[in-house]
Amino acid sequence: MTEQGAATGRDWASQRERGSKALSRLMLWITLTLGWRAGTLLLYPITGYFFLASPAVRAASRDYLVRALGRKVSGGDVVRHLFTFASVILDRVFLLSGRLRGFAIEVQGLETLTAILGRGEGCVLLGAHVGSFDVLRSVGRDAPVAVRPLMYREHWGAMTPMLEALDPALAAAIIEIGRPDTMLRVQEAVAKGEIVGILADRAPAERRFVAAQFLGATAYFPAGPIVVAGLLGAPVVVFHGVRTGPRHYLVRFEPFADRLVLKRATRQQDLTDAVGRYAASLETVCRAHPFNWFNFYPFWEKPDHGE
Amino acid sequence: MAPSNLEQDIARLIVESLQLEVDPAAIDPDAPLFRTGLGLDSIDALELALAISRRYGIELRADDEQNGKIFASLRALAGYIGTHQK
Repeated sequence: MTEQGAATGRDWASQRERGSKALSRLMLWITLTLGWRAGTLLLYPITGYFFLASPAVRAASRDYLVRALGRKVSGGDVVRHLFTFASVILDRVFLLSGRLRGFAIEVQGLETLTAILGRGEGCVLLGAHVGSFDVLRSVGRDAPVAVRPLMYREHWGAMTPMLEALDPALAAAIIEIGRPDTMLRVQEAVAKGEIVGILADRAPAERRFVAAQFLGATAYFPAGPIVVAGLLGAPVVVFHGVRTGPRHYLVRFEPFADRLVLKRATRQQDLTDAVGRYAASLETVCRAHPFNWFNFYPFWEKPDHGE
Repeated sequence: MAPSNLEQDIARLIVESLQLEVDPAAIDPDAPLFRTGLGLDSIDALELALAISRRYGIELRADDEQNGKIFASLRALAGYIGTHQK
């Protein structure tokens, strides 16, 4: 394991988070002052800026889109990809603060979740950096139990005060990654019948990862979320919330496993199988909603650290 | 100070439950278990907590303020288990 690789992954993550943090602040001010339409007008120069200023983002977008669309990719496709990303960040302000007027959010498969909660059980909700995670908040508000997002503290960092102001309950619900007792907290939350939400698609910052076929080539996914779900023996549900149009979202819950079992003797194979199934479900979403993919880094590159 | 019997038991439990390629006797009882030292992460902590609960009937709780200390080293962990064991 080389620290260098891990650092590069994290640098990338923090760099991107920094960018979207500044963007979020600007959008927050404009949209709260002038409204969603004014915010939307801003998306054009912002998208243009990202397109021109970041060749690395452009390259990552193009690399992904070629695989997801299965055809030649134009500059217009890349612009549309970046525009979708900026739109989701704009909408986040409204979703987090509960200003849902003008939004149409369709929810599918909620019964999967309510059946589990109805039995008094908690569960692990596996998502990805696809579409909007915050759209879950609009669902969560009506559900009996809110989602506890598992995430790095740095991801919020300076943004924490802003988020707390927009949605104090969310800030309090976060389970922070990177502490020795992080996963014990996850265990306790699930044991209490809570839902723990994990974005299970980014390997670079993780120590352990697993190879899986994704959009026609080998990609690397973090092992942690699946390993933890297996240790907890809790039901696992896959979730995604994709932007289908301006202020239109589709949220979908799909059962992934009643009990994820990683048998000791066949652990590596069980893990590979489960991650493969997760990657396959993610691929289905990416094919159906190709512009909702928000991992703007060389996703198919093997992280040069870990086991 | 030589490791106690309980420390040796727990060292074996750590190596077995986490499938580490380390000789249990080679674990320094005073070295940190997490990050540096043995280099465990929070998934290992969960797995270890589950193994400790099965073996010793002690639940390690995340909201325990002592957690940082309990997981500090093999010696600290053994100390905690020793005093809480039924």
